[in-house]
Amino acid sequence: MPFTLDIYRYDQGVDEVPHRDRVEVDMPTNQTVLDALEWAKSEKDGSITFRRSCRSAICGSCAMNINGTTGLACKTPVDTVLRSDNSVAVDPMPNFQPMKDLVVHMDPFWDKYTRLKPYLQPRDNDSDNERERRVSPEDMKKLVAVANCVMCATCYALCPVVSVDPAFAGPAAISYAFRFIEDVRDSKRKERAAQISEDYLWLCAHCYACSYCPKHVDPQDDIIAVKRATIEEGMLDEPGPRHALVVAKTIKKTGMLHETEVIQGTVGRFNIKGLIKVAPFGLRLAMAGKMPPMFLKPVPKVDEIKLIFDTLEAPVQA
Amino acid sequence: MTATLEQPSLKRRSKSAQMRKYGFFPGCVAKESCKELFTSTMLLAERLGIELVELTAASCCGASVLNDTNRDVARVLNARTYAQAEALGLDDVITICSTCTGHMRAANKELLESETHMGQANAILGKFGAKYNGGVMVRHLLWLLIDDIGLDALKAMVVKPLNGLKVAPFYGCHIIRPESVNGWESSRNPHSLEDVITALGGEAIDYAGKTRCCGFHIQLEKEGTAANMVGQNMRMAKDRGAEAVLTPCPLCHLALDGYQADSAARWGRTDLPTFHLPQLVALALGVDPSLLGLNKHINSPGMLLQSRNLAPAHVA
Repeated sequence: MPFTLDIYRYDQGVDEVPHRDRVEVDMPTNQTVLDALEWAKSEKDGSITFRRSCRSAICGSCAMNINGTTGLACKTPVDTVLRSDNSVAVDPMPNFQPMKDLVVHMDPFWDKYTRLKPYLQPRDNDSDNERERRVSPEDMKKLVAVANCVMCATCYALCPVVSVDPAFAGPAAISYAFRFIEDVRDSKRKERAAQISEDYLWLCAHCYACSYCPKHVDPQDDIIAVKRATIEEGMLDEPGPRHALVVAKTIKKTGMLHETEVIQGTVGRFNIKGLIKVAPFGLRLAMAGKMPPMFLKPVPKVDEIKLIFDTLEAPVQA
Repeated sequence: MTATLEQPSLKRRSKSAQMRKYGFFPGCVAKESCKELFTSTMLLAERLGIELVELTAASCCGASVLNDTNRDVARVLNARTYAQAEALGLDDVITICSTCTGHMRAANKELLESETHMGQANAILGKFGAKYNGGVMVRHLLWLLIDDIGLDALKAMVVKPLNGLKVAPFYGCHIIRPESVNGWESSRNPHSLEDVITALGGEAIDYAGKTRCCGFHIQLEKEGTAANMVGQNMRMAKDRGAEAVLTPCPLCHLALDGYQADSAARWGRTDLPTFHLPQLVALALGVDPSLLGLNKHINSPGMLLQSRNLAPAHVA
């Protein structure tokens, strides 16, 4: 059954504003969106531009927006996304500068990756080793998921933090930081943790938009693990780790997340400038009659909660 | 998968549902800065004829933050909460916060799927005589409304229809993502809030921001980022004609209601009043609006509600 590709068209050297072309595609809808684009390019309009290579979700080239959400065109059958008017909209990935049609400037994404020095930096030299550096299957297991990353940038395009603050490293780069931080052969754990902290590791908003990873890397778990690594490496003097540790402290003490203490403990009790900055928000809450309590009565049997923290040796803010 | 554990299926009608008596986990925010959410939930439950038994000794769910310090502690704390529900003979724990929903379900999934995790939790719980048998299901009030009450029944209970009030749904990430943990409805294209809005006589506004993040969890990390996320989403809602926002999450509520003033410089003024889910449902079901804490919002819904004959302006 024929269907329509509704394609974003733009050429940075020529067009001031983008426009859209509707191309009738005469092929079965059980083919992929990439197949449809290839057909449109070869049969209807050779100027339609997009990146593709392997056609089997290995190279990561063909990530684009399909009906408003990002994914690999080669992994998306047309009939799973066909809209009620029998069309599929294809757009360049958001969070990137468009270059031509569906091709975007990938530089910010690569920059954040290369800043990590994404190669193994072992303690010893190659010449010190008679054979390869051995890793136990157990140690390698935690790196398997991230090894599937094809750097298609789907997670980066879907990230709502990147969309308002391009300084954030984004999910893929943090997953790569995890890949080296957790590699037993690597010697730069602290340096890597410091680098990714500088690139706003703690700005991850816990939204799980990156759970749509077409290769099931699920960067969220890696992000949490890298945060724990920065705490283990003693990088505590930032709002992020302060927040995590003061939340733990108040839960251990009262059973509840005590909002008032968490705000003070995150900003810093003696950080007058910081406290003044959050004051308007607090004032607005107060004016609406919703000031969180200054003191919190512990929940019944709070000793059980303390015991859980102590048994698991869970860290809390000092 | 442990063979001895009873795996609660998502659509199974729970014992709690049959008794109309549920374990209730209000979460920290409904007990601290959003007390109006707690109050309106209890009033709505009364109107629906269900009993919510508050688990008063429960701890915080971990709020997606505790995992950043230790990977086990939130799971064991939640096992303790589930054990409390089981001890009361309740197999449903109802939440009123998207973040509680997602993180309690994630902890439960880990406990049910791993003997190691369940064993670790029960070894610690055993020290104070508690045990979790794996028989609890965590659900949000939103899902209870649809699965146990039913949209038709809900519609039949409406005494004060919303008169076409244009409401933008805002889900809150953790009630839909990741799908492997929630999976109650499509995370890319959910429609439960829209269904509830329509059943109450309102008009649900469709906009891309409805499944996006409010930025709550990073409000203190870097100045302006969370406010920009709020502004971006509220701009989309406003441009589609929204007059108000409805959210099942008090964290989203704090961010959306609290930061629209800060986001105005970049995204233009939006000033959308934001309702907690039970507030708007209770209002349509005829609960006295002056009891719903509608005056506890920064962007006041007073004029809007008065214009639709839903409440006198002074109660909001």
